[in-house]
Amino acid sequence: MLTLRNLGKTYANDVRALEGFSLTVAPGEIVAVIGGSGCGKSTLLRLISGLDNASRGSVELNGDVVRQPHPLINLIFQEPRLLPWLTVANNVGFGLAEIEGEDRRQQIELALKKVGLADLAQRWPKELSGGQAQRVAIARALVTQPEVLLLDEPFSALDAFTRADLQDHLLGIWDETRPTLLLVTHDIDEALVLADRVIVMRPWPGRILDEIKVDLPRKRDRTSAAFETVKRQLFKALDTSLQLS
Amino acid sequence: MADLAETGIKTEVKTSRSIAASVFYGATRQATAAIIVPALGLLFWEVSVAAGWFSGRLMPPPSRVLATLWTLLKSGELFNHIGITTARVFFGFVLGTVTATIAGAVTGYFGLARRLIDPSLQALRSIPSIAWVPLFILWFGIFEASKVALIAVGVFFPVYLGVSGAILSVDRKIVEVGRIFRLSGFTLVRRVMMPAVFPAYVIALRSGLGLGWMFVVAAEFMGASEGLGYLLVDGQQLGKPDQIMAAIITFAIIGKVTDSLLMAAAAPFLTWQDSYRREG
Repeated sequence: MLTLRNLGKTYANDVRALEGFSLTVAPGEIVAVIGGSGCGKSTLLRLISGLDNASRGSVELNGDVVRQPHPLINLIFQEPRLLPWLTVANNVGFGLAEIEGEDRRQQIELALKKVGLADLAQRWPKELSGGQAQRVAIARALVTQPEVLLLDEPFSALDAFTRADLQDHLLGIWDETRPTLLLVTHDIDEALVLADRVIVMRPWPGRILDEIKVDLPRKRDRTSAAFETVKRQLFKALDTSLQLS
Repeated sequence: MADLAETGIKTEVKTSRSIAASVFYGATRQATAAIIVPALGLLFWEVSVAAGWFSGRLMPPPSRVLATLWTLLKSGELFNHIGITTARVFFGFVLGTVTATIAGAVTGYFGLARRLIDPSLQALRSIPSIAWVPLFILWFGIFEASKVALIAVGVFFPVYLGVSGAILSVDRKIVEVGRIFRLSGFTLVRRVMMPAVFPAYVIALRSGLGLGWMFVVAAEFMGASEGLGYLLVDGQQLGKPDQIMAAIITFAIIGKVTDSLLMAAAAPFLTWQDSYRREG
């Protein structure tokens, strides 16, 4: 259970990026956070991942307060951020420093299989396409079996085809072990295809404006009437958020 | 359809092959163009001395320089000088590199150390290194120690600047990946920072080595009885320009060879680099 209590962040230059953010995410739930720039979306993930510390409030995972990067929380960035001097396999194994030999090899292979890139294990990152690189990044985050996976606009740099493909892929992976996913995005369709709940943010400082439940069975049909209805609802909320900025 | 695809592939192969060919011929042509002027110059000098237009006393023709080089080589004298000079460069390079790497790593990594030490080092850097010679002779005597110290000073600064600059410019985004996997302190340095700065470090070592060869000449000018620098001074004092030129050519060759060795040693660790020249 991931609990965010009254989270707030003020940066050194007195910019209030986030204010009074409270949210509880159940194990295995997928929550999308959506909003324009200045809504503190990225700040939110930096606080939960422990990369930055909150100015106010707290992040708790199963009752433990998170102040620095936590073994059960992993973050997938907007860019793949692969380490260019490691092969694909060693990038995936980056978080397995304590595990060696055959065990390590098997875990890497399994993670690469999950993202469908088992045959690229010995390549260098420079030899991958954007979509492949992002999949390796997902495998790298998965290999340590996190309970909470944070995703910061993970597919926004990809073309529409690759993006839809990776969204399906992510759902497939999620379905196997059901980790908690907290996804920040500015793509309405992405939020609605993936999430159980969509949190709509408003800017300056970033706060929660609205919450929309997406009660549709997966895998969701983007063209169905029910999808359209929720989409209209979300558009309306985003419109309000936009007018406040 | 199949035919079309096939012809399409064939033309593609053809064009890529002809591109490769034209690149190859282009490079050869460029190399030829680069050689023409110096080759003609050397030929002209050889011919004009042979024809008696010039005496060639102060500027010996290529054949005489090569003959001198051959004599020095055959007597084994040249190897002796090369060995001595290389040893001086080696020890100076190792000393300079080790201290510069430590200093650069400390000032690059710790902000406080940078604020305390870096300004002083930058001030010392602006002193022309040759100006240290008299002091080093007083401190270390006229034998090997002062020479090695001078070379080490020459090597120190480019390596120091390279290391501390490279550490300061390590991509924050990649460091964050390390932090997400809960690396900190020395593990973060070893697994993220060190590989990230390695390419810049190799470049710093190469410029350090280049300066090492420059400073060994200055060091050997300040009183040596052996070494390539001694050959230069000896050639000047006894009026043997052919010996001076032979020494200069030797410097050029071993400078290039040591640089290539350094690059070759680093190359296996740099295959991952996504640079323009390594693509493919």
